[in-house]
Amino acid sequence: MPDNPHDNSLERRLEKWASAPPDSQLSPEVRRKVQAMLTSSLTPVKPIPSQSRLAFVFLAVFIVCAAGLIAILNKAGFHLMTGVQMAFMTAILAGGGILFSFTLAWRMIPGSRWGVPFSLVLALSVLLPIAGIALLFPWTTSSAFVSEGWPCASLELIIAVPAAVVYWLLARRGALFASSGLGATLTGLAVFLALLPLQFQCMFQHAPHLLVWHGGTAALLVGSGALIGKLARRARLRKQELKDG
Amino acid sequence: MGEISIDDRELRDLMTRYQNADAAALEDLVARVSPPLLRFFGRSGIGRSDAEDLLQDCWIRIHRSRHTYRPSEPVMPWIYAIARHTRLDAYRKRRRLESREVLVASIPERLHQVVPETPSEEDHFTRLVANLPDSQREVIVMLKVSGMSLEEVARATSSTPGAVKQKAHRAYAALRRALGKDRESAR
Repeated sequence: MPDNPHDNSLERRLEKWASAPPDSQLSPEVRRKVQAMLTSSLTPVKPIPSQSRLAFVFLAVFIVCAAGLIAILNKAGFHLMTGVQMAFMTAILAGGGILFSFTLAWRMIPGSRWGVPFSLVLALSVLLPIAGIALLFPWTTSSAFVSEGWPCASLELIIAVPAAVVYWLLARRGALFASSGLGATLTGLAVFLALLPLQFQCMFQHAPHLLVWHGGTAALLVGSGALIGKLARRARLRKQELKDG
Repeated sequence: MGEISIDDRELRDLMTRYQNADAAALEDLVARVSPPLLRFFGRSGIGRSDAEDLLQDCWIRIHRSRHTYRPSEPVMPWIYAIARHTRLDAYRKRRRLESREVLVASIPERLHQVVPETPSEEDHFTRLVANLPDSQREVIVMLKVSGMSLEEVARATSSTPGAVKQKAHRAYAALRRALGKDRESAR
């Protein structure tokens, strides 16, 4: 408990305040209403799988889809990256997939113990790829920076959007509370799924290209996901307001 | 602690039976869990009838999400996580309505900021707690009114025990400052 031993007066007042709250006895009418409401739709339900099992399902989808896309797409990146670059990018992008898989699983079950705070997940998934790319890849650009970049951005979009929808469909089994955090988690996981095959098919392994076209698109997608989550929450509240009259 | 602690083992058993569609378990669960939830909602600066509305809304959400409870996990953080979202949604809805009402006719202040003519010591302290930032007030209510542990509050708020402790410390510091100012102005 965060009690301050030097200020007993505050502690005493807090205890007094906490122990004398407004009447918390449930009126029989409200109790009956709640029970009637719930009993009318009371059917047996099967408990959701554990968080780790849910996370492994998301991770399995991540691995199968990423491996399948790597196999189908052009493999220019394999020949252009050095061993260190390849190992680092694989570790970072797969690590992002693992972190976001667990975050999504934690979000599905209310009252979950969060192994890593979401702010730290976001910070790591932004800072580590930026640092790695900035340090390991050459800072060269070509005159065709834009025309080289947009196909990568488009491909990222083409992979990430359906992946986000698939993850949303899988995650709907849980108790999801629409929010910008949920939107960012879903798109974050989908974006890492898109970035992994993109890294191995890309023929422009330069820091500016990777940061702007791969990273910039990822940031835009995660931002859009967060915005969609926020709008979804607002729409749900509005729907509820209309229902309440 | 302000709240009588509810035996988690019994609650886990009730929840498991509730998941198996046992109406008696549901009845028992509603009777046991509703009073602390009502206190939780009541401490959010809303009136009794609004708190009862929130309680009903919360039970609907609990019912819809009952399959997400896992018998190996503690019950109260699971329930409070749902209650917290119910309260947050209601708070956002109220803010939207207030902003709309202000456009029609200027309504002075939020309900909890209205100062009674001769506030008692308890009213005054309630007002100080009500003026804390939402996230800090929520942590104080869960720790003090609901009698939850740091770990349980962390689970209910999708946070870590360290972050909960930090918020509680900030709330304590803010309350201490406010009480200090009161003492100075009383001299």
